[in-house]
Amino acid sequence: MKPLQPVDHSALRTNQAVIILGLVLAFVLNFPALAGLIGALMLLGALLKQPAFGWLYRRALKPLGVLRPDVIADNREPHLFAQGFGGVVLSAGFLALLTGAAALGWGLTWLVIALAALNLFVGFCVGCAVYYWLNRLNVPGFSQSPPPGSQPGWRPRREES
Amino acid sequence: MEATLGRFLLAVFLISAGFLVYLLVNRLVLRRAAQNESIPGARRGLPVILYFTTPDCLPCRTVQRPALQKVQAVWGERLQVIEVDATRQSDLASRWGVLSVPTTFLLDSRGKPRFVNHGATRAEKLLEQLNQLVRG
Repeated sequence: MKPLQPVDHSALRTNQAVIILGLVLAFVLNFPALAGLIGALMLLGALLKQPAFGWLYRRALKPLGVLRPDVIADNREPHLFAQGFGGVVLSAGFLALLTGAAALGWGLTWLVIALAALNLFVGFCVGCAVYYWLNRLNVPGFSQSPPPGSQPGWRPRREES
Repeated sequence: MEATLGRFLLAVFLISAGFLVYLLVNRLVLRRAAQNESIPGARRGLPVILYFTTPDCLPCRTVQRPALQKVQAVWGERLQVIEVDATRQSDLASRWGVLSVPTTFLLDSRGKPRFVNHGATRAEKLLEQLNQLVRG
């Protein structure tokens, strides 16, 4: 098990906000390609171990002082897993939209919106909770336990000092 | 154009439904909190802000505490702010259903929890909630 690392939750929240806004826009404009693009970027981000839209925070919002860093001692892996999981669901939704299953496709898209909103506004990361649940079941590859003093999936209480 | 408007309205409906669910969850948290016995140190007859924090919570230091100080300055002796370290009093935090910090509960003068705020809450919002408390 790796030690906790400093994780900037402002970058994660920016990521969630952009995903929500982009997907709502894709739905309103009936533009499945945008949903597909966001799904692909989420998968790419998970592979590169970065929040898909973290660059927006690092290159614009943070330097301009719009957002301040919110560094917490946390595990990176559950957040990457959550993003990858969201990317898979969104890609499945995109494929459904391409094959004409609009209700399924947009339903999966709204599922990702709902989960991202839950994380952004309430502080509960469903993907992270699933990761920690798999860790408790000793599934290989899910080696990280929740940070001390925090409930699985909830934003950790303690920051990196 | 009509289809876009229809989709926009559907999106507004879904977002509103999500917000309603959020409000419902808050109501359940308050109902659970109402089952707690009185808070140690709380004086009867005064509204209370019960503020759950931890020593190294950054938004607590940078946003929540200054907001509470502002609220206390406005309300003075008519308000009691009770700070609870969720790491030292984890039993109390659990009983109140606190899963993240900062979390603030606003209790009326009879000790009944009336509002809960998850995450850092601006002074303006807290003041508005306090005004609603005294209006009944």
